[in-house]
Amino acid sequence: MTAHVRRKTILAFLGPAVAALVLVGIAPLLYAVWKSLHNFNLTKQAQTKFVGLENYAAVLTDPVFWQAMGRTATLFFISVPIQIALGLLIAIVLHRPGLTVFKTLTRLSLVLPMATTYAVVGLLAQVMLNQKYGVINQMLGWVGIDPVNFIGDPTNAFIGVIIWDIWQWTPFVALVLLAGLSTVPPEIEEAAQLETKSQWLVLRYVQLPFLIPSLVAVLILRTADTLKLFDMPFTMTRGGPGSATEFIAVLIERVGNRQFDIGMASAQAIIMLALTIFLARLYIRFFYREVN
Amino acid sequence: MAAPVQRRALWAEGLLLVAICAFCIFPFYWMVTTSLKTQVVALESPPVWVFTPTLANYWEVLFEDKVGVSLINSIIVAVCTTTLAVVLGTPAAYALARFEFRGKQDLWFWFITNRFVSPVVLAFPVFLISRELGLRDTHLALILMYLTFTLPIVIWICTDQFRSIPRELDEAALLEGASQWRIFRSICLPLAMPGVAVSSILSFIFSWNELLFAYILAPKAAKTAPAMAVTFMEGYDVPYGKIMATSTLIVIPVLIFALIASKHLVRGLTMGAVK
Amino acid sequence: MKLKMHVSALALTASALAFGTQANAWSLEEAAKPYAGTEIEVLFLDRPGYNAAIKMLPEFEAATGIKVNYTTVPYENALGEQVRDFAAGGDLDVALIDLVWIGNFAENGWLVPSETFINNAELADPELDMADFFPLVLDAFGSWNGVNYGLPFDNYSGLLFYNRCMLEAAGFDKPPATWQEVMDTYGPALTKDGKYAYALQSKRNETQSADSFARFLWPFGGSFLNAEFKSNLNSPESQAGLQFRQDLMKFMPEGIVAYDHAETVNAFAQGDVAMITEWSAFYSTVVSPETSKVADCVEIAPEPTGPAGRKPALGGFSLAVAAQADEAEQAAGWLFIQWVTSKAKAGQYLEMGGVPARQSAYADPALAETYKFIPALVESWKEGVPEFRPRFAEWPAITEIVQEWGTKMMLGEVSIDEGAKTIGEKMEAVLAEAGYYDGKKPLAQ
Repeated sequence: MTAHVRRKTILAFLGPAVAALVLVGIAPLLYAVWKSLHNFNLTKQAQTKFVGLENYAAVLTDPVFWQAMGRTATLFFISVPIQIALGLLIAIVLHRPGLTVFKTLTRLSLVLPMATTYAVVGLLAQVMLNQKYGVINQMLGWVGIDPVNFIGDPTNAFIGVIIWDIWQWTPFVALVLLAGLSTVPPEIEEAAQLETKSQWLVLRYVQLPFLIPSLVAVLILRTADTLKLFDMPFTMTRGGPGSATEFIAVLIERVGNRQFDIGMASAQAIIMLALTIFLARLYIRFFYREVN
Repeated sequence: MAAPVQRRALWAEGLLLVAICAFCIFPFYWMVTTSLKTQVVALESPPVWVFTPTLANYWEVLFEDKVGVSLINSIIVAVCTTTLAVVLGTPAAYALARFEFRGKQDLWFWFITNRFVSPVVLAFPVFLISRELGLRDTHLALILMYLTFTLPIVIWICTDQFRSIPRELDEAALLEGASQWRIFRSICLPLAMPGVAVSSILSFIFSWNELLFAYILAPKAAKTAPAMAVTFMEGYDVPYGKIMATSTLIVIPVLIFALIASKHLVRGLTMGAVK
Repeated sequence: MKLKMHVSALALTASALAFGTQANAWSLEEAAKPYAGTEIEVLFLDRPGYNAAIKMLPEFEAATGIKVNYTTVPYENALGEQVRDFAAGGDLDVALIDLVWIGNFAENGWLVPSETFINNAELADPELDMADFFPLVLDAFGSWNGVNYGLPFDNYSGLLFYNRCMLEAAGFDKPPATWQEVMDTYGPALTKDGKYAYALQSKRNETQSADSFARFLWPFGGSFLNAEFKSNLNSPESQAGLQFRQDLMKFMPEGIVAYDHAETVNAFAQGDVAMITEWSAFYSTVVSPETSKVADCVEIAPEPTGPAGRKPALGGFSLAVAAQADEAEQAAGWLFIQWVTSKAKAGQYLEMGGVPARQSAYADPALAETYKFIPALVESWKEGVPEFRPRFAEWPAITEIVQEWGTKMMLGEVSIDEGAKTIGEKMEAVLAEAGYYDGKKPLAQ
């Protein structure tokens, strides 16, 4: 059916885009790999030397690196289930008929958090969570809770990051799941509604199968974004107090940008990238099979 | 009997919706009101809700602190990278949608993988390369680097869009002797405009929000707005009003764009995974 | 013929005269003539000393035709921005050097020694008078391995700011003289009703190393390194100091590890904390009624002493000419640095909120009435230790270690002993790699 297209034509269409991505994506990456094999510090360039895999050995045996990885995983395993639960609740409510104007408005307001500049979220968090001047502590006071020191206490700071991660990404999850719900054929749904009054049964047996693709998409994207998470903790806590909110991307930035140890930072970044690609491939194989 | 129950359920639902809206919107409300406070008012404890607003913070950040310049930089970078991504990306998307060739699947995987690469992986090598090429602190460096995420978005959404255009159209044109390029330009691209528009808006939003590349590659002349916002976090003095005024100025354009594209935002964010 | 000779002899005499009196005839306008229109790039911080300099700039620019382009950055970014600029051959012409960066910048060859300009009669102001700078400050802020690069510009000493009203209400008619008094009497008496006796800025950044960790090493006889450049953090003195800091936390607001300067100064300015040890530069903030509720109660004293004496926190910035600048920019940069730190401008700089490092600027005893911090400052600059924080090139790496483990200590995640051991081991690893232990590098800090 498809017309035969000459190689040259294909190349002309794809070439520029591929070349551009090789230039800005692959070339720097190869350069990073090369640098990661060196002892290379911006402030000690005279002492630059080839060290082979030494940086990798150092990273893999460095507890600080693994703690940052662990923290990133902890964040993922706490905040993503909450986001999915809340998101599903919101999606189901929005999916139900009635109150159309209200629901349109809600859908619009859900768009706001996920489009907000991530760095601004961190700044906003800093202002709102402040122990003395923060409005969140004022509100906690209204319900009789003593002011919480969000930024200054390691556990609370971590909770603070979780709260804002939930604020920013629950709407995203809700909208993705809502899109998934809209793929359920209405006649099947209506038939099920007639059969049972239990929303739970409808969800479990009728809607869930249609939601699987959305859920997988959420998992893929939240995994990638959690590994990337930098802007918000950077502007909110700078990884502190102590190392309480030093997630993997924050750690790498610190090593490269504050210790100027670009060789080491590159090794850390390459290891993270390997992990990311592994997870991405795993997910993509599992899910994005639709092409062709 | 059924009616009151249903009405109560409706009330509960309405209340829940209001709560959701409040949860989403309240931080913005607080951001905007704080931006209208003087430093003394912003540091009242407990925080005040009613006060005399002032635009002094905006005045200060826009003109004295060069936030105005950084907003212009952000616009330049976001518009250029988006344009470039569309110019490079739509033909590629067309090829992915229409042509058959070996390795198509792999190429597609490779494009998708770019969505997962953290900027922190590329930032340092790009810093070193940009200093060799003299591209440091230029718009061009940022425009090129932002292609790493804008180009995949355009390719994705537009591939989907091209696929949805009936093939009969180009086959008819082909029979009349039109070249592939002509079919793409004159027939398919106009029909794919909705996808192009959505992917442009998303590219714009992502470029506008980017911090890490901007922070490392453009310290001064080409400094963008998010990088500018970060510079107010001096440990010496925390000017809440100014920080929030800058934040408001940064966030408003993206929110407008996001609302315009709200219907398609989800699709864009999930890279077409959910239709 | 005769006449001609006469004239040329006259000309000769005249030029000799001009040469001889050049020192007196030196003027900024003349010196700057070849550089009119030159633009120089420099980083500034958002602090009073820089705001003072910004207010003074128009005068300099009008006199010289040199344009000073300053970019304001947060302190936390200032090192990174400069290192990246110098490493990338960027456009900075004047380096802003925190005293702990001097070794790093100097060893990388990023700075031009000031001698280059002092020996250039066209550029050197005869009134430069290097001896007028407080020797400790000139040495610590601007010099490395016996070579001077930078002139002290934004100068601090740690001082004790105390709220006289709160102290009087608790029955104290003078500030604590020793840290032991803070612990034994002032602390318990002033910590009550939601108020705290003392706040120590301890956030995990340079504040933790400089303001918190080091502040309790030196007065107790501790130090980072011993004579062999090995860790001295587990010496009894260092341990006593760090333990003291830990014990003192009961008189500080909770969450003190998240306090940076802003939070600390503000807690004091709001009247929530009776005493803070802060940089002299914060004086204007705490005595201005716009930013301080306790403006009338603020008094200033030198920092309390420990068993080993005062050894107050020492910090500050010098300005130096960057080696990457071209000749005209270097000359213009020097003229600016020389002018803004000059004896002649010191009074104006002080008036506008800066703290000059010129001894002559404080000679007038009447000044102490307007600027209450002066006696304490002068006193402190007599007793400081230049290596309060080691100033060698490895400090940026070491401070990261101190920041991480210093805050962990305060949070109780590691014991004082273990934390100090960890810092020591990591610090020695950095120093070993740098070549201090195999004789490759002189033991300079």
